Amino acid sequence: MKFSIYRFNPDVDKKPYMQDYDVALHEEDHMLLDALLRIKELDDTLSLRKSCREGVCGSDAMNINGKNGLACITKLTDLEEPVVLRPMPGLPVIRDLVVDMTQFFEHYNSVKPYLINDDPLPETERLQSPEDRAKLDGLYECILCGACTTSCPSFWWNPDKFVGPSGLMQAYRFIVDSRDQAETERLENLEDPYRLYRCHNIMNCVDVCPKKLNPNAAIASIKDLKIVRAKETKKHKKSISIKAV
Amino acid sequence: MLFELLTKKYPGMRWWLTQRMTAVFMAVYLVLALIFVVLKSPNDFVHWQQFWQLLWWQLLTFTFFTCLIIHAWLGIRDVMRDYVFNVTLREWLQLVVELVLMAYLVWLGIILWG
Repeated sequence: MKFSIYRFNPDVDKKPYMQDYDVALHEEDHMLLDALLRIKELDDTLSLRKSCREGVCGSDAMNINGKNGLACITKLTDLEEPVVLRPMPGLPVIRDLVVDMTQFFEHYNSVKPYLINDDPLPETERLQSPEDRAKLDGLYECILCGACTTSCPSFWWNPDKFVGPSGLMQAYRFIVDSRDQAETERLENLEDPYRLYRCHNIMNCVDVCPKKLNPNAAIASIKDLKIVRAKETKKHKKSISIKAV
Repeated sequence: MLFELLTKKYPGMRWWLTQRMTAVFMAVYLVLALIFVVLKSPNDFVHWQQFWQLLWWQLLTFTFFTCLIIHAWLGIRDVMRDYVFNVTLREWLQLVVELVLMAYLVWLGIILWG
């Protein structure tokens, strides 16, 4: 099977180049990651990240024939030859298919991706109703591979300011969590003109997500929730002023 | 009720919401315009002129184009924010766009009431 792979070693190369490989696959090689490991047997200078090899860790996200995806769950039979592999766009390349994800995780960290709850710790656990738990479906499954964020033109344009689809979906995951008490702060944290509102509904994030999630819907839900909360605050203030009268 | 969201207190939401509110107004206007034209069916110049001399219709039309201009301004502003990273250049370009859009609005006023 023929491959054309992006190569760049900053210690040796002045600029990146594409290297062609023609590799004989074995019968048990079904996924792109299997083929990449075969290539690595031929050329061990090729660098890539991998770990779980079953679409759970998100390490081997890369640009496959122009579309971001996970090598370990991409079937070789679905790929046109030569298979063109590049690192995920929009992030600095460390080497070959390995990108520096610092910016991505800084944005993730900025949405405080953990429960904030000042109540005393219960004896066992913080319970949720099945309905409240269901609100997290389609959000908690994100594996932070970065495929969505690095395929988002808004992120390419403003990588330092726009949180990106993955970070925003994680923000919403905690906003809707019934055990979290920081909804107001979380919404205010996204009020800046860039952090949330650079999303122009381009939908690349939905197109590429290897877990079939919908970051765009989560982003829209955050905006809707901001309006709902503003209405409620207004009503609340009104009722207080009526009582005072 | 939503007007608080259009204040400086909400620097992100205000423009996002403005863009959507102007879009909704324009959609409603276009449906109304279609219904109005079908019902009144102005099929000659005199009727067409009478149709455009109704003050409430003129005001509604002026509001429609004001919404269109605000909507366009926000759209172009978004594009510039994404592509023009030099702040001084961006502000100059935005000023040019704003002047052109204001000229369009004045032109519309002349067409409607001139």
